[in-house]
Amino acid sequence: MKRKFEHPAPSERELTGPKYWRSLDELAETPGFKAEVEREFPADASNLNGVDRRQFFKLMAASFALGGVGLAAGCRRPEKHILPYGKSVEDIIPGLPLYFASAMPTRKGAIPILAETHQGRPTKIEGNPTYSPYGGATNAFVQASVLDLYDPDRATVSTVKGAAATGAAVQDLLAKIGSDASLGSGAGLAFLAGQSSSPTRAALVAGLRKKFPKAIWAEYEASLDEASASAAQAAFGQSVKPIYQFAKAKRIVSIDSDFFQAESHSLYYSREFTKGRKILKKEDAMNRLYAIESGFSLVGSMADHRLRLASSHMLAFAAALASKVSGDDTFSPLSKGLEFKDQDKWLDACAADLLAHKGECVIVAGSHLPAQVHAIVYAMNVILGNVGKTLDFVEVPASNAATISTLASAIKEGSVKTLVILGGNPAYDAPADLDFATLLKSVPEVVRYGYYVDETSAVSGAHIQAAHYLESWGDARTADGTIVPVQPMIMPLFNGLTEIEVLARIAGESITDPYTLVYNTITGLVGGNADHVFRQFLHDGLLHGTAYTKASVRFNAVGLSPIFALAPQFVALSEENLEVRFTFDAKVDDGRFANNGWLQECPDPITKISWDNAILVSPKLAKHLGIDPAGSLLQVARKENATYKQGKEQAFIGEVTVNGVTVRGPLHIQPGLSNYTLVLPLGYGRTVSGRVGKGVGHNFYPLRTTSTLGYATGAKLVVKQDELHALANTQEHWSMEGREIVREANRYNEDGSSVDLGFVNTFGIESHAPSNLGEEDSIAEMAKLSPQERAERKALLAVETPRGQSLYEHPNLTGVHQWGMSIDLNTCIGCNACVVACQAENNIPIVGKEQVLRGREMHWIRLDRYYSDGNIEAAAFGGPGNKEIPEDPQVSIQPVGCQHCEAAPCEIVCPVNATVHDDEGLNVMAYNRCIGTRYCANNCPYKVRRFNFFDWNKRSLDELYMGPLGKSGMPELVKMVKNPDVTVRMRGVMEKCTYCVQRIQQAKIKQKVKAGASDHVEIPDGTIKTACQQVCPVDAVVFGNIKDPESAVSKAKVLDQNYALLGYLNIRPRTSYLGKLRNPNPAMPDYAALPLSRTEYEKKNNPHFGHEPAHGGESGPGEHAPEGEVKGEHHSFLKGNNLFGGLS
Amino acid sequence: MSKLFPKSANRLPLQIIILVIVLGSIVTAGTTYYATNSYINVGYAPVQPVPFSHALHNGQLGIDCRYCHVGVDKGPTSTVPTSQTCMNCHNQVKPDSPLLEVVRNSYASGDPVPWVKIHQAPDYVYFNHSVHIARGVSCVMCHGQINEMDVVHQAKPLSMGFCLECHRAPEKFVRDPKLVTQLDWKHPGGDAGQLEDGKKFVHDWNIKPPQSCSGCHR
Repeated sequence: MKRKFEHPAPSERELTGPKYWRSLDELAETPGFKAEVEREFPADASNLNGVDRRQFFKLMAASFALGGVGLAAGCRRPEKHILPYGKSVEDIIPGLPLYFASAMPTRKGAIPILAETHQGRPTKIEGNPTYSPYGGATNAFVQASVLDLYDPDRATVSTVKGAAATGAAVQDLLAKIGSDASLGSGAGLAFLAGQSSSPTRAALVAGLRKKFPKAIWAEYEASLDEASASAAQAAFGQSVKPIYQFAKAKRIVSIDSDFFQAESHSLYYSREFTKGRKILKKEDAMNRLYAIESGFSLVGSMADHRLRLASSHMLAFAAALASKVSGDDTFSPLSKGLEFKDQDKWLDACAADLLAHKGECVIVAGSHLPAQVHAIVYAMNVILGNVGKTLDFVEVPASNAATISTLASAIKEGSVKTLVILGGNPAYDAPADLDFATLLKSVPEVVRYGYYVDETSAVSGAHIQAAHYLESWGDARTADGTIVPVQPMIMPLFNGLTEIEVLARIAGESITDPYTLVYNTITGLVGGNADHVFRQFLHDGLLHGTAYTKASVRFNAVGLSPIFALAPQFVALSEENLEVRFTFDAKVDDGRFANNGWLQECPDPITKISWDNAILVSPKLAKHLGIDPAGSLLQVARKENATYKQGKEQAFIGEVTVNGVTVRGPLHIQPGLSNYTLVLPLGYGRTVSGRVGKGVGHNFYPLRTTSTLGYATGAKLVVKQDELHALANTQEHWSMEGREIVREANRYNEDGSSVDLGFVNTFGIESHAPSNLGEEDSIAEMAKLSPQERAERKALLAVETPRGQSLYEHPNLTGVHQWGMSIDLNTCIGCNACVVACQAENNIPIVGKEQVLRGREMHWIRLDRYYSDGNIEAAAFGGPGNKEIPEDPQVSIQPVGCQHCEAAPCEIVCPVNATVHDDEGLNVMAYNRCIGTRYCANNCPYKVRRFNFFDWNKRSLDELYMGPLGKSGMPELVKMVKNPDVTVRMRGVMEKCTYCVQRIQQAKIKQKVKAGASDHVEIPDGTIKTACQQVCPVDAVVFGNIKDPESAVSKAKVLDQNYALLGYLNIRPRTSYLGKLRNPNPAMPDYAALPLSRTEYEKKNNPHFGHEPAHGGESGPGEHAPEGEVKGEHHSFLKGNNLFGGLS
Repeated sequence: MSKLFPKSANRLPLQIIILVIVLGSIVTAGTTYYATNSYINVGYAPVQPVPFSHALHNGQLGIDCRYCHVGVDKGPTSTVPTSQTCMNCHNQVKPDSPLLEVVRNSYASGDPVPWVKIHQAPDYVYFNHSVHIARGVSCVMCHGQINEMDVVHQAKPLSMGFCLECHRAPEKFVRDPKLVTQLDWKHPGGDAGQLEDGKKFVHDWNIKPPQSCSGCHR
């Protein structure tokens, strides 16, 4: 699809034309602006003093008259120009986007993408569907990466000793490093690079090491996966890495593994996992997930059985489970000390379940866990016969890079004279015991290559600015080894260099042009016509058949003994001896995305905190510390009367001390945490970053040392009761309050029979209210029809809107299509990718922490996260259960955007008809009509409308309240990221999800152009993908024409578990949900016959629920299991209950 | 008080009311007439950097609209031709004309010719040329007899009302897509013939021009 363009040299006009501001500060330095700031009011505002009133009115009258004359004389808008290209550019028609295949390199992999460009300007990233493991899906980081390209705070110039350096000077510098080093065959030269999967880089590094045999090549990433690799090496005697095939696994045990987000192949794992959760009919099997974890990850939220356990106890757990699975005592010494509630029963039931599914189960361990855990997990998978079925091992090239510790000791010895740091940010994220920032100062020459000026640049002599991956030629391998291209969408905005060019220049290669380097690598791999091969590679966005080969592995227990000799001792935890667990923040990763406003504002999927990180503490520990919110009922947030500010969470500051090092941060109480584990999300507290990332959150890296990269024990926590920190938490309310918002059921009844998938309609107000659409179309009547008939009936109802029980007549909808959406709550993992994709597609502004604290975030789609622990009182909300923060809740996640109600409540209250219905069933917003009364938002039952309280796009976030005194206008760079097909909204208008109306219209236009003088105007199903649907890694979102009974969305909507959120309001939302299913094991001690949210529902609405003597009731609601970490017996009274007895 | 106000002051309220009504009517009438696209914009004919004549190129020489406006049947914009398009002919025809100096310079340097925009939809309107061309809406409907213009001027108001006039009654305007660039074409059967054919096209091609906001505003 893309060939290499010969870019013409910039003309004089371009060079003298408008320049991008390197920063707003630079702009602010102009004398004119300074003068403006110094003046209290704008010019002429104070001149009125000299004019008397009479004269003023005279002037006013005259100016009005002049205005009238001007109008009558043909006052026109200002003259505008059309500027066509001087020379024609192939393929470009202004207004039509072009898509190019590329890839975003990640630490050890890459995510294949299609970049949407508008006249050479990338605006949006989509996944490349040609790469089937990801199926066109991406994640939030990929979506947000395009914002980094246009970040006004990125390094815009290379510097040497603080002075700007020209491109030629940088080239000289790099060549000099190489020529100096070649004298002593590389002695004194060292490199510290981030991990990369690029074959070209690997080749260059090999050349470099050959040329400079004495040079040190070290690689460091804050994230880790060494343990799993070293365990695999020991267990199988080969350099292999595991690739899990979750789609084939019916039973999955996750030992502290966040395989939805933290692994390099996470997109594949998410997709494959949810394939076992897609329930279309009664017979479809559903996988079962056991999650054992210390923090609360999205894997835990999907788990059917979740066990809270400290990370440092995972080894003991793995050993105990292995003993049960293998039936011998090899590992049992390691399990000594392990203790949790119903331990034996839990392990027995879990092991029995695994043994019953030999070859179709899989056990995974978190990458932060020690090698012993991975070794045991491999052993268990071998015993269970999973290898080659649900778990493949692939041969990976062994890394021969040195570690950062080796480099640090070389620096200490003084043997490093020149250090080249490629990417990364070691001064910020290197293990604290190395004290890397100080070490760097002792190196005579530090050359730093990086995208931002950061903590490392601050202690480096020279900073070489990097090009963004959307500006670079390169290549990479995905996590399964497939080679993918990285091709530039735009010329480097600030003449940054690519990493391979830097390496080639240091190595003194004859070819330094990155395009040629990549061309040579790829064409060297494949035979045939080189040009043709390379073109095909760029067109497809991948090189077919280059995935790593599957290895046949043989488990070698003997090889593991050196690993087990180093097994850590079991340490019991208590309030005085806490465990800290380091995770990477879901928003900023290891800190690399700290200056990305889209990610900063996207709330954490579980805590829902944006713009911040916090020390997460368990409810039990919070109680011990006395920081649990005594007064609040259903809130996790602290809302004492005295500290009530803006209605937002005011968190106490806590100080965590490990081995004499102390860090501080706000304390957020997180339900579901292991009792004595503190979760510390890394990546915040940057001291040198851009305007977005600097000084936001707290830095926990100082606690992390070489030996405690994953977790540490022996921590102490002190609460500073007198200090408070506001957390911009977008959802403090944790409970559904026993309402039927997310509708859940267990997949199988206790007797093993499949649950009636129509359960969603057996509870809730609709279940006993008159049917909205009239009795002939009631749920019961619909259930009698076959799926095909139901689809046809529903397609008809979408057009001929029945009056049903409504007070009003509804006009029929006459459009060719009728748009609708279905969201599968059973597969949605809550990863936030849709939130950021929507932001990128629809020009949604960033509002900043201050405004999020006021509840003014602008996201068109939000993910609601609910906790339920089954404890709720029927008699109002004052029962004891409600005053406790749940220690061991289930989590239900629900994406909510505008539901496009057919009888939309927002429309009838709009005084100016700014929000109306179109003939294809869309609830549309005409921004130009909106006068900002906000009545619509008031009347929206879903609270999905967003109001522009400020001119977010034109004003910088720290000057929102300055009114006309603040700077106005968008920096040129930021303008470039906007989608030209979507209006940029101004202050005072309402906005909300449009179902990506721009994509709908473009598809319709395209179809009509194709139709020409014919009537084929109906868009084929699947042509339009909304931004949230396109990005969704688990295909939870389906969008399409509900008028067509054969469309995918119609087929989703006729499933039995389809329901409308707040359907009883008779507003007939076009978005509907598929109910959530859980698949607990009846043999497990924490088995509950109903999901906990359902229990809450029943308890609230059915006073007799759970109180019949026949059903036990040995412990009342609200009585928590005091010590144990597992949900205890207090749910057993549900067993055998007639689930729907109280309702039908 | 009678010393302060003469008797004629009693008539003042009535006079004021009448004055307000008269003034109000004048302002209303004035605004409706003067402050609309059809008054302000119709006839706008700015001086262009190159005195290009559509009457010559299209009207006399018969070059099809789409030779230069290449995007008109493909994308939202009709695309003003690049200087290279002009030079296709003008490196042979009148290669030294001083009037073409700007175009030659542009072609040599790559800098655009700053054509002055005449037909302008507001930023919040997402007009698309290709769909109109493909479905039989002629250029002449919005741009007038360009083929007779030496200097292009705006011929139609291009206001929302103007768009809706056609979107509400497409049968009065649609023609065979093959004829869209024939600006002189009139239905041989006159208005009645147009209406008859138009109705047939609207039915056969399932023409349902959008009349709701989402058609043009996103």
